[in-house]
Amino acid sequence: MRLAFWLYEGTALHGISRVTNSMKGVHTVYHAPQGDDYITATYTMLERTPEFPGLSISVVRGRDLAQGVSRLPATLQQVDRHYSPELTVIAPSCSTALLQEDLRQLAMHSGVPEEKLLVYALNPFRVTENEAADGLFTELVKRYAKEQEKTTAPSVNILGFTSLGFHLRANLTSLRRMLQVLGVNVNVVAPWGAGPADLEKLPAAWLNIAPYREIGATAAGYLGERFGMPAVTTAPLGVEPTRRWLEEIIEKINAIAARKGLSGIAMPPMRAFSLDGISAPSGVPWFARTADMESFSGKKAFVFGDATHTVGVVRFLRDELGMQIIGAGTYLHRHADWVRSQLEGYLPGELVVTDRFQEISSIIENELPDLVCGTQMERHSCRKLDVPCMVISPPTHIENHLLGYYPFFGFDGADIMADRVYLSCKLGLEKHLIDFFGDAGLEYEDEAGEHTVMAVSVNGEENGEGGGNNVPANAAPADADGMAWTDEAENMLKKVPFFVRKKVRKNTENFALGQGESCITAEVFRRAKEHLGG
Amino acid sequence: MMQVPGEVQIIKEDNVTHSFCGLACVGWLYQKIKDSFFLILGTHTCAHFLQNALGMMIFAKPRFGIALIEEGDLSKSEPTLEEIIAEIKADHNPSVIFLLSSCTPEVMKVDFKGLSEHLSTPELPVLFVPASGLVYNFTQAEDSVLHALVPFCPEAPAGEKKVVFLGSVNDATADDLRAEAEELGIPVGGFLPESRFDRMPAIGPDTVLAPVQPYLSRVAIKLERERGAKILTSLFPFGPDGTRVFWEDLAREFGITVDLADREKAAWEKIKPQTDLLRGKKVFFTADTMMELPLARFLKSAGADVVECSSAYINKKALGRELRALEGTKVVEQPNFHRQLEDIKRERPDMIVTSLMTANPFVGHGFIVKWSMEFTLMPIHSWSGVFTLANLFVSPFNRRSKLPPFDETVWLEGVMPGAEQAH
Repeated sequence: MRLAFWLYEGTALHGISRVTNSMKGVHTVYHAPQGDDYITATYTMLERTPEFPGLSISVVRGRDLAQGVSRLPATLQQVDRHYSPELTVIAPSCSTALLQEDLRQLAMHSGVPEEKLLVYALNPFRVTENEAADGLFTELVKRYAKEQEKTTAPSVNILGFTSLGFHLRANLTSLRRMLQVLGVNVNVVAPWGAGPADLEKLPAAWLNIAPYREIGATAAGYLGERFGMPAVTTAPLGVEPTRRWLEEIIEKINAIAARKGLSGIAMPPMRAFSLDGISAPSGVPWFARTADMESFSGKKAFVFGDATHTVGVVRFLRDELGMQIIGAGTYLHRHADWVRSQLEGYLPGELVVTDRFQEISSIIENELPDLVCGTQMERHSCRKLDVPCMVISPPTHIENHLLGYYPFFGFDGADIMADRVYLSCKLGLEKHLIDFFGDAGLEYEDEAGEHTVMAVSVNGEENGEGGGNNVPANAAPADADGMAWTDEAENMLKKVPFFVRKKVRKNTENFALGQGESCITAEVFRRAKEHLGG
Repeated sequence: MMQVPGEVQIIKEDNVTHSFCGLACVGWLYQKIKDSFFLILGTHTCAHFLQNALGMMIFAKPRFGIALIEEGDLSKSEPTLEEIIAEIKADHNPSVIFLLSSCTPEVMKVDFKGLSEHLSTPELPVLFVPASGLVYNFTQAEDSVLHALVPFCPEAPAGEKKVVFLGSVNDATADDLRAEAEELGIPVGGFLPESRFDRMPAIGPDTVLAPVQPYLSRVAIKLERERGAKILTSLFPFGPDGTRVFWEDLAREFGITVDLADREKAAWEKIKPQTDLLRGKKVFFTADTMMELPLARFLKSAGADVVECSSAYINKKALGRELRALEGTKVVEQPNFHRQLEDIKRERPDMIVTSLMTANPFVGHGFIVKWSMEFTLMPIHSWSGVFTLANLFVSPFNRRSKLPPFDETVWLEGVMPGAEQAH
């Protein structure tokens, strides 16, 4: 038992519905109490679905339990009559899972043919969103995929794209564009937009592409074992990973072509992948080399998210933008070993593995990185701490479902990521100018801070009258949990540019604590400056 | 489908619907009772619901949280909440903790009453609030919260004849109601709930309870039974019609005869542009917040044609006046959403008042919608709320008239992943 306010991952039911909401002809019936279908609102509100998501509830009321009544058969009949789905997935919620009912038996009472029903009962106290989504998708692939002739021309399946995925539509567009340039057809995208008939023809493709570690990779593994289909399971996050991703596709397609006695495909010139067809496909390699970006070498980044994005973004920041990684973590315990193996040599310490946002928030507060890449929750934590943050990972929020083309995958995605890093960190060239010319009138951003300083001085006088300790008469705590600062030290701090002031305050206090000082005087501040090299 | 016997015909269906559970009331009550903490003994589902459906993430240190039941807790005989209570106390220092039940511990048969008594101290009461979706719908758990607050309402002595307004409203609305009552010469005892735990109103045998929200019948009956308080049975103070009847009936309880006909007329006059637009419009309520009956009655008075008024539960006594005013309108309790969809496709209402879960898909089908949840959060009470109330119904029409024509075969293509695509 613990006190929770906010969680990164949703429930197993949420994962199940993400898959079925992505699909054609598939409906989910929640065998659950009133309100457990709140999940419907995440689709109709975040994805703004113009159709009713295929989600119905077979309401379980306290009175039904007492009377031993189940509405499941009647609900299944209604769903069959009104929506005629090809498949209805029946899922219990956390409370109804405890009832240990035989849902299969109950479902059979509906008279709906057995082949149109799938009871997907997980332990919702053990399995959460991503594992449930990945599991159900694999189950559906196993159920429908059939041995068949391969397509004549090279083709791929794109697996793992799922409702409420992070920048999902744009990522899919980015992959489709690159495959088109390669001259490779897309056989099936699943679960997004696929129906049972599409899953059936999955084995017709030459190759599976499953870029998400969380959803789709297991199904690709099954298709490999059962139908001998090769798979590309890396994520094209960043310029070099995208190039390697393309090379891997070409290599695997060509191996099959060779076996068939067909001619292979060749890597087109890089410019073919650009939006206009006549330029470099990404601005990142040149951008990273420009003189004003030199300051990025000193920028410290902390990355936190799901498995796929944490790995991809850490590598991108270090390998392609030359930033320093001071730490990284994931909320997906299940994938922590994979993340560790992928990031070997990238992290100065241990990978942080936690689903408690407060722990990440306190790491950020202690480290005050120059850039945090995280989920919407880290963005929220960072806003309070005034630390730059960009969102790189699900869970998605309404602001991750924008209208424009903002992929993270592919060359286009590398440009979007670099732009966001730049806009979040800013102060590349500006920082040099400020170092040269002082704060250049940028002080205006700190008006609220000025008032704080004045209030501190007033308190300081009161404190001084009390006397009785070794705190100088004109010093007082800067805020509730900070240390005491003298006016003189405060004034020196004011001369530090506003955008690093908070960090300097924190570093100085840490230094002073280490030195056994209880108050920041001008002298302590000077020593700290010397010690910290700034 | 069965017919409930009684004066007004209510069609009762099987409750296959889209709405929230009782935990939703945390969304407004934690903001209303400012020195409270709402602790839900629940699962991942409850936490995910609050953070998603109610968009709770924006608050840094919300005064609500979930005591999360994890797998290891399922085998324990009773949950141990001492550490969590200590944590809440240290971080938030509330005057009261409301301990809300949810479906899983209800199934586990947790003894909530014993648990809350065990955790309570004189300094920090822990009050049990039944709220699970096995029993309670959306707004209904506010009834449970108020129920739990009853012991903290002092006994008003006999002879102290005052009105206590029942139901949470925002502080500005509370001020308006108080001022209006005083102007009519009605002494005000306060509100249940007040905005602080230590200021709950005194209630006694001469208290008149005036419900201002339509989903609080249990607490009213409890107060009638335990304190001998009188429950006002009137229309709810929504719209010029309801507001007039409400205040006239309330005044009568205090021996005051007032005729607010002019006031009502002036209020209708003020919203004439809105009622001109609403006149003759076919409106369909799919059931969500349990505010449907008084809202439908207002629309009917405003000249709209309410083609269906569905609500999750209808207390025929507490809503008796509203039901009579809706005579001739199709009223459904625990509706079936699939049936509603078919009726809506056939009847083509001009506006559908519906839940967050179903609003956008109705728009996708070419309808004009209003989020039912907005009515629980907006100041729509009494005279000062008339304009807001009318505008809530009118704004979707106005917005639609400002947007250019929409060809759904073009602009909805590919938006829904599960929809068949034409290529």
